[in-house]
Amino acid sequence: MSTPTRRQFINAPDDVIDEALEGLVLANPHLLKLDPAERLVSRVTPATKKVGLLSGGGSGHEPLHAGLVGTGMLDVAVAGAVFASPTASQVRAGTLLADSGAGVLHIVKNYTGDVLNFQIAAELAEDDVVVESVLVDDDLATTSTNGGPGRRGTAATVVVEKVCGALAEAGADLSTVAARGRDVVARSRSLAVALDSCAHPGQSQPAFELPDDLVEFGVGIHGERGTGRIPFASADELVEQLVDPLVQDLSLRSGDGVIAVINGLGSTYPLELAIITRQVHRLLAARGITVARTLTGSYVTSLDMHGASVTLTVADDELVRAWDAPVRTPSLTW
Amino acid sequence: MTDHIDGALALRWMNRFTEDFHDAQQALTDLDRQAGDGDFGTNIASALRKVVAELPTAEDATFASVFTATANGFLATGGTSGPLFGMWFRAISRSTAPEGPDTGLLAQGVAAGLAKVQQLGGASVGDNTMIDALAPASQTLLDASTSGLTIDKALTSAAGAARAGAASTADLLAARGRASYVGDLALGVEDPGAVTVAMFFEAGAAVVSG
Repeated sequence: MSTPTRRQFINAPDDVIDEALEGLVLANPHLLKLDPAERLVSRVTPATKKVGLLSGGGSGHEPLHAGLVGTGMLDVAVAGAVFASPTASQVRAGTLLADSGAGVLHIVKNYTGDVLNFQIAAELAEDDVVVESVLVDDDLATTSTNGGPGRRGTAATVVVEKVCGALAEAGADLSTVAARGRDVVARSRSLAVALDSCAHPGQSQPAFELPDDLVEFGVGIHGERGTGRIPFASADELVEQLVDPLVQDLSLRSGDGVIAVINGLGSTYPLELAIITRQVHRLLAARGITVARTLTGSYVTSLDMHGASVTLTVADDELVRAWDAPVRTPSLTW
Repeated sequence: MTDHIDGALALRWMNRFTEDFHDAQQALTDLDRQAGDGDFGTNIASALRKVVAELPTAEDATFASVFTATANGFLATGGTSGPLFGMWFRAISRSTAPEGPDTGLLAQGVAAGLAKVQQLGGASVGDNTMIDALAPASQTLLDASTSGLTIDKALTSAAGAARAGAASTADLLAARGRASYVGDLALGVEDPGAVTVAMFFEAGAAVVSG
């Protein structure tokens, strides 16, 4: 099999994160400011007297998290290196920045490095800030029965950040926002499939190779292999293999409602995502499940991976109201 | 012979540890390549560069300021070993007296750090991690404190216990950390985190005795 070489718009691999954060803030001077030393992106006008929302993690998942900083969502985003947790020291600095006197909520995707560094940061900041944490672990492909690190955190992070952001903006206290965040996690599951892997900045080879007749099922957001390989098929057939396990795991029944996130993993183009969205709606409608709201786009990516994930969050009226609340960030605005 | 580890001694301890680590870095990286993902040496070296940049001058150094600077350097480092070492050094920095810790205070700080690393990392003795050197060293220091050993003898005993603990990891299958992913391949390989703990106590024993 011939191996096509990936080319990228980069200068030097070591400069990728700093230059990209600078570009994001230059494009959004009305929304964002940057602390380049600690790689913190925060609101240009800090909120006052509300629960501060901090998230972050490895880079390579853009627009998560810095593109979701703004009114109605995050206060501060902390960027690590590509696919590597930010340091405890960075997260501590971000926590202090996010605090406006009502405490800070950490929204953490479930990976060993992220969990450890956010936990240490909370402890380092404990004399100055009250911190609570929501651990996002929505990826159905990594459900384990024998201990281990548990399910990975993927695209449900967007739903958690949106809903918690709305509550914080409305003046809810820290424990209320944290409890709602955990509730959203419990109601959310995701599953992803990829047609092609991703390549790190500066590397010309993808993380894994796929023959033309197979797709990688159950991929995460770090270019790792999935749970297995299944035959390549039409969009409608592939989407069915994502949606069925989600419906089953969430025990969705006729009459239930969901928020659906159809998420591109990097190089999946909008036409493809719209076709996937159509099939998600058709499959759920056939089961009598109402799609209360849909978000389609590339929000939680894995560099240039050609893949897509579907996230379903069991919704009630209160959740939909929080979802509909105004938001103004570089990547999500209504 | 000193009863306390004052700022000047703490500074010499940390400088000695940094030099020893630098000399051993390639060997530790090779160990990590066999049992982990090969980034241990680079991560700790990066932490130590930050430590050296943050260390106080000899005139300003106190035990607390030296170990706080050390903790901060490690906490500003990626990976999982760096921040765990950082929280361990942080606990040590907090168990001191104005003139520096005696054997008892040092033993308490090391024990508090061990408890913190276990709480955060979830590892126990026998899991093939830094705990396999830290736990025996900590117990040896506590015993030395109870029996009233001077701090040089206490550190020398702790260094011996840590080195024996590190050597024991060669026979262990990893249950935590990166080495847990490679199973049998890690047999016969000492855990680089445990070896680093042994080097730390050996550096302390050398400067306090010398």
